[in-house]
Amino acid sequence: MGSQAVAHEVEHHAPPPNVDADQVTRELIATTTGASGRFKAWTWGLGILSVVGIVALVLKFIDQGDDSTKWGYVAALVSFLLSVTGGAPMVAMAPVMAKANWVRPITRIAALFSFAGVATVIMLIPLVAILPPLVTEGARRRTVWYMAPDYSPHFWTTLSLVLLLITGIALFYSAALPDFASMRDHSTGWRQRLGKRLARGWVGTDVQWRTLRMRIGMFGSFYFLILVFVNFLVSTDFGQSMVPGWRDAIFPMYHTVSGFQAGVAGVVIALYFSRKYMKLEKYIHLDAFWSLGRLLFALTLLWIYFFYSSFIVFWYGRSENDIATLDLMIKGPMIYAFFAGMILLWFVPWWILIWNKVRRGTAMMVVGSFVILIGLLIDRIRTFVPAWSVPGDQIHQKWLKVIPETVWPDIFDILIMAGGISLVAFIVMMMTRVIPVLSVWQVQEFNLLAKPIRYIKGHATLVAKPD
Amino acid sequence: MQQRRELDQVYTNRKLLNGQLDTPKWWLPTVSILGVVILIGVVVIATMINKGLGLTGLARPVYWGLFITTFVFWVGISHAGIMISAILRLTQAEWRRPVTRAAELLTVFSLLTALVFPLIHAGRPWRIAYWIMPYDISRGIYPNIRSPLIMDPVAISTYLTGSTLFLYIALLPDLGNLRDRTTGWKNAMYTVLSLGWRGNPRQWKMQTVGGILLSALMLPIFVSVHSIVSWDFAVAAAVEGWHSTIFAPYFVIGAVHSGVSAVVTMMALMRWLWKWDDFIRPEHFDALARLLIVVATGWLAFTFLELTFALYGQDAPEIALREMQMFQWPWNALFIIFFLTAYAIPVPMWLFKRVRTNIALMFWTSILVNIGMWLERFLIIVPGLARRTPFVYTWEAYTPSAVEWVIFIWSFAWVTFLMLLFSKFFPLVPLFEQKESQVFTEDVMIGRAKIPAIVREAD
Repeated sequence: MGSQAVAHEVEHHAPPPNVDADQVTRELIATTTGASGRFKAWTWGLGILSVVGIVALVLKFIDQGDDSTKWGYVAALVSFLLSVTGGAPMVAMAPVMAKANWVRPITRIAALFSFAGVATVIMLIPLVAILPPLVTEGARRRTVWYMAPDYSPHFWTTLSLVLLLITGIALFYSAALPDFASMRDHSTGWRQRLGKRLARGWVGTDVQWRTLRMRIGMFGSFYFLILVFVNFLVSTDFGQSMVPGWRDAIFPMYHTVSGFQAGVAGVVIALYFSRKYMKLEKYIHLDAFWSLGRLLFALTLLWIYFFYSSFIVFWYGRSENDIATLDLMIKGPMIYAFFAGMILLWFVPWWILIWNKVRRGTAMMVVGSFVILIGLLIDRIRTFVPAWSVPGDQIHQKWLKVIPETVWPDIFDILIMAGGISLVAFIVMMMTRVIPVLSVWQVQEFNLLAKPIRYIKGHATLVAKPD
Repeated sequence: MQQRRELDQVYTNRKLLNGQLDTPKWWLPTVSILGVVILIGVVVIATMINKGLGLTGLARPVYWGLFITTFVFWVGISHAGIMISAILRLTQAEWRRPVTRAAELLTVFSLLTALVFPLIHAGRPWRIAYWIMPYDISRGIYPNIRSPLIMDPVAISTYLTGSTLFLYIALLPDLGNLRDRTTGWKNAMYTVLSLGWRGNPRQWKMQTVGGILLSALMLPIFVSVHSIVSWDFAVAAAVEGWHSTIFAPYFVIGAVHSGVSAVVTMMALMRWLWKWDDFIRPEHFDALARLLIVVATGWLAFTFLELTFALYGQDAPEIALREMQMFQWPWNALFIIFFLTAYAIPVPMWLFKRVRTNIALMFWTSILVNIGMWLERFLIIVPGLARRTPFVYTWEAYTPSAVEWVIFIWSFAWVTFLMLLFSKFFPLVPLFEQKESQVFTEDVMIGRAKIPAIVREAD
């Protein structure tokens, strides 16, 4: 059936016919059981890497906990993980609010990334301990906290990141209630017991559906606001305020937008592997890749726009702090990272995603998404590593007078980065064993609202748009 | 979601061509009054060119005042067209259809008006010739081509050319329609302008492809125009409050806020004046208001960042400027009005569907937004120059003169006049879009509910 659906799409450029509701429930619930040998091997591998990464983090803290200049790579990793795990759930929200039907089947896969936010919180813990207070040796560094208590960034960033994690899980849970009920009614063993416990008496009354939609809207809006706030805090407190004279009003937005870009790329990758290895071709249509491709393309352009908007002002400004900032972030120790980031985060994905044919396929879309994630990691290294490389006794100055040398990653950094990224993949993979990777009720609703039709001489979809 | 309404083609033609085939009673008196205002404005502009910029309130250290504020304002309004036409076309938003033409027109006419301001502000506009004909770069007479002040006219001219083409391509089917319904000189004019439009499949395909290509091509220009306008300010490190990296996207999102609000104003007027209740419906205002809530809130976030990072440096002059902007008379009053009108009053109101579908309320709130957005530009441009700083020996406060106010009013009259003139010869709501929406929408029964649906082509 799966290969037939693909053949149908390739031959006719039309969405495959809708699947019967009972069959949807049966087949999607079945995806949680019977993991393949390859899946198990990958999960084990990623799990081991995650543990190694966490151990390395603890060892690094014991060994280098008193030297903030050595923690740039961990800061870059926190920013990267926040981008991917925080940005991905937005794919479950933003298009839904815009009533985009194509997104319905894939909202679950995007929401699963919320759980991976645990990895970001774990990596943040030592960083918060090492982040210098606002006032050291009687001097106050420039931050968005102005005259607030000395440990404000430490407290508020941690709190907001935990709040983001909780809200993300709440968003996931509120949208998953009907599926837990499906698990209660169609699964066996511990999954059935879990479904029964978490479904909280869901039977699908009108009131329950209305409440569900209201909760999704409420948590979704709240999640978006917190996400922007967390990006604002992480980018300023853990990046900008570490460099004297770096005053870049667009940087928090730059951080947020590239976070959305990474989130969409993460969803595309997860979608590709789910589609391919869980045989979900008839549920994950090419239309979803096409639409995500356009979104990713727009975000890629937005990234370069935000970057250039910042760059040109520094470039023309020519004040001493403008020159120092450019020297530190672009022309100096990070010049190779700058070029690599520019190529991988903008030029290559732009060139891949500009083609409609690519966006209508899966293989190059996933290549483009991987390229974006690598590019983003390099870009985060470009901004956070030099920021943290500024010695603690210089961060109160008016501008940076001595540009630090390039800081290369040590063995701890490499293991921590590998471990942190593995932990995200591990958590997402484990969650697919708990709940169907595609939302059962959303797929059913998608089938109800979108109907493939013959239109004049071609194919089309009739999409109903309820208020 | 747009509710489906069955309208036959004869009715659509008759109603939407009522401006061209008949003349509404109010049209001639309105155009005449606007003509008088324009004439007065032209006389004032000519006098100012003859006597010099001394007739304005501009003096050291405030060199950029009402003219440049109004220039930025009209460039901002011009963002309506591409936002509504290109972006909503590419995202296949069905509700855009009755609005596209008016939005594109607003783009073209507001750009034409915006261009006038730097020209007259130059004092001796004929010297612009040096910019067009390179006299001698090596002697430094030819201006610095790397400067945003040079990039600006280039970007705006490109935007104007592209927008005009965009408008014209979308107009072709309607011109063919008008050609077939007119006689005499009008028929001759429409025959020439419609470029042999017959509506055969190839022509439709070309027209659609042209529209989509132009949409995609216009998007980067759309972004670049206001970004470059912002860099006129942001790359100047010497003026406090201007040297900020956020200016480009901040200006663009502000422009979209003000442009889309201007479209709402226009739509309400079109509905009232031409009685197009069947075509411009409350659900269109509802959709635009939802869009405006998102855009306005995004704009507010940028405003917050702009202010936050102004204070971030903790530099005394910057703090003094912000104090002046927000707490000193008369800037504080302007600041409060700006904040209330651009966001605090309209956006909370738009949260209620009853307001979003009330055309009178939408009309007035959209006007409020543009009052606020004009003030925003004024508060960005003038206080930074006007603040008393060391080594400036003239500390005159800037007050716009009567000449400046007359030219300011002239600009509004000019844009309205051009719109009304256009409406006499060309339909303001695209007929073909209206008919296409009839074909592309359907009602489907889901359970007991009748739900409006849209046909999406698969390839």
